[in-house]
Amino acid sequence: MGTVATPAPAADFSGKRIEWIIPYGTGGGSNRWARFYAPRLQKNIPGQPTLAIKNMPGASSTKGTNFFARRAKTDGLMLLGTSGSTQFPFLLDDRRVKYDYADWEVILATPVGGIVYVNPSLGVKEATRAGMKQLQKAKLKFGSQGATSLDLVPLLAFDILGLTVKPVFGMKGRGPSRLAFERGEVRIDYQTTPAFIKRVTPLVKAGKAIPLMTWGMLDAKGDLVRDPTFPNLPHVGEVYERMHGKKPKGPAWNAWRTFMAAGYPAQKMIFVKKGTPADIVDALRKAAADTINEPGFKEAAAKTLGNYPQAVGAKAEVLKKIATTVSPESKAWVKAWLKRRFNAVP
Amino acid sequence: MLEALTAALIEITSGQHLIYLLAGVAMGLAVGIFPGLGGIVGLSILLPFLYGMDPTSALSMLIGLVAVIPTSDTFTSVLMGIPGSSASQATVLDGFPLAKKGEGARALGAAFSASLFGGLIGAVILTFVIVVARDVILLFTSAELFMLTILGLSMVGVLAGGNLAKGLLACGLGLMFGALGGAPATGEFRMTLGNAYLGDGLPLVVIGLAMFAVPEIIDLLRAGGSISRSQTLGQGWLRGLKDMWAYKWLCVRCAGIGCMIGALPGLGGSVVDWIAYGHVKQTSKDKSQFGKGDIRGVLAPESANNAKEGGGLIPTLLFGIPGSGSMAVFIGGMVLIGLEPGPSMVEAQLNLTYVIIWSLALANVVGAGACLFLSKYVAMLTTIRYTYLAPFMIMVICFAAFQAQRDLGDLITLFVVGLLGILLKRFGWPRPAFLIGFVLADQSETELYQAVQFYD
Repeated sequence: MGTVATPAPAADFSGKRIEWIIPYGTGGGSNRWARFYAPRLQKNIPGQPTLAIKNMPGASSTKGTNFFARRAKTDGLMLLGTSGSTQFPFLLDDRRVKYDYADWEVILATPVGGIVYVNPSLGVKEATRAGMKQLQKAKLKFGSQGATSLDLVPLLAFDILGLTVKPVFGMKGRGPSRLAFERGEVRIDYQTTPAFIKRVTPLVKAGKAIPLMTWGMLDAKGDLVRDPTFPNLPHVGEVYERMHGKKPKGPAWNAWRTFMAAGYPAQKMIFVKKGTPADIVDALRKAAADTINEPGFKEAAAKTLGNYPQAVGAKAEVLKKIATTVSPESKAWVKAWLKRRFNAVP
Repeated sequence: MLEALTAALIEITSGQHLIYLLAGVAMGLAVGIFPGLGGIVGLSILLPFLYGMDPTSALSMLIGLVAVIPTSDTFTSVLMGIPGSSASQATVLDGFPLAKKGEGARALGAAFSASLFGGLIGAVILTFVIVVARDVILLFTSAELFMLTILGLSMVGVLAGGNLAKGLLACGLGLMFGALGGAPATGEFRMTLGNAYLGDGLPLVVIGLAMFAVPEIIDLLRAGGSISRSQTLGQGWLRGLKDMWAYKWLCVRCAGIGCMIGALPGLGGSVVDWIAYGHVKQTSKDKSQFGKGDIRGVLAPESANNAKEGGGLIPTLLFGIPGSGSMAVFIGGMVLIGLEPGPSMVEAQLNLTYVIIWSLALANVVGAGACLFLSKYVAMLTTIRYTYLAPFMIMVICFAAFQAQRDLGDLITLFVVGLLGILLKRFGWPRPAFLIGFVLADQSETELYQAVQFYD
């Protein structure tokens, strides 16, 4: 019987209060994601501290994020939840951004998918070569919040696929865009997975909407594969290949891949400030891992978040890097495209 | 439809549901009485408590909370001239002059009975309309919604009082203030001077307080005395109830207006009470007392804004698109409980929808009833010398303004726009016109922009 060194005491949060900053309003998907996770995480963090969500919307989520960047200490008592709309201004050098993802450690990353669907009156049933040729003939309108938002991904995808799409800006989120679709004012729309499952599936069942394709998902190597929640739908790259007989490539495609990766496979992430002691970070990461491995979690998550493996640990690091880095060429290309196509400056 | 309705009515009267509903009402009242705390802020504060409760009880509580918001904030609107939330702004126009005449209790009595009545009528209308509502609402495209904002703006003509030029100018000024911030479509920043606070636009709560509350406080301080000129409280709340009954058809009409307009996605909220007020003023033969304490000027907006909450449930439940700010938080609450709004609410879950509608009506009745009884006592505040009351009022409105965005800019805005409000009052520029312009600026521009893009 030899001596065993006692391990350093693990971080204990008993009696403490963790503030989780969500730079989004109470009505949206990010808030829903946070409120789905909060009680589950709280249970699994050692000491069961109170995990209190603080909504701080404003300035396209830069207000709350800047607040976290300024105020968070390295004691693990303040967390940040970001969404794609926090990543994009950062990637596009928006003037309001006063934060840097390099200053943060990722605890958890939640992927989200995007699904494109169309009005049946277009006569397109599937994204086959013939179907897409048919779709290219139509002059389409697309409801959008703004070119420099997450809508950059669908707008660029439509351009790459050669569709004639005129964006109608000023929609206050994807909810109103979906409403415009139901009214017949737009005939092409996309929704993120949770919204699609809850709100568009009834339309599909009633024959009022036809799902065509998804953005796809990134696998462990970072390659684009089909979205696991919609395995029957092709992803954008596949659709391009069907239309042109070869895989897509070039600066537009690279830019799309980067921004799609920033917006969807790691759309929502939980961060803590860098410099927080390793034991605290490990405790939080372990709590996240325990949460997603709990029995019943996958089923509950599938209903709210979709059928995507939540990422913790090394995988989350990979996704974080992909989501918050853009090559100078892609960035320049996108900025030029935004200016040329929409006269938009981030 | 009938079985769903009967099942719903049976469930509502079950003990557990009632208890949670009443708890929600009590909380809503306690929070709603404070200006600026009512409405969305109060709901957001109380939302975390719903966590961990079982779905039906939590839903009952949530409904109780939402139902009483437009009711409880009438206290400050009538007694102190401070609009409690955006829904109560029109009530201030005639409610506060009534309080100054010493008829505060009567005004409150009328307001609460109108609220009660309006809420009930709204629920009745909803019961029938909701089954066809979805298709009807989809007929309202952005072009129609734009015309509705124009209708709202045209209310300025009714509210301008004697001088139409000043009314139009005030409205234009309001539109300009409303345009401050990010443009709805392109996101460019207007008149923000590079300031992050202004980039989000000016918050409605602060503008409402600055335009109405600040000038009133200043004037009352200068005049001395108490809010109520006469030292007695007038004829009391029973008279107010009789007033409501005398004008019951007006209340029915305004409840109908409130319900219908509240049902349109995004628009409802702040415009309804102005449209109701404009309607009653236009359709009255004797307009002389409006703005000076005509009881109809209290009855109309109050019955409309309670019916509006019921109407606001339609887009919220059917489309998941909030009909107003409080509905946005309601959706958040529903999701917390695990309920998803959508077409299933009128198909598979119709009885649940009726539970919601009629719980709302029930909560309305209880809330308004409670307020009616309290009104006599709370109205006594108007007999206190204002120099004692004013510092408290100033503190309360600063607190309420700060709640908007928890930013120092809120207080600065309150001060600067308050000065503007004082000037507008001094020179007879109608402040309701300013407010209508401010409130409708974003909506009208968004809808116009979209309508043009969709249909060119």
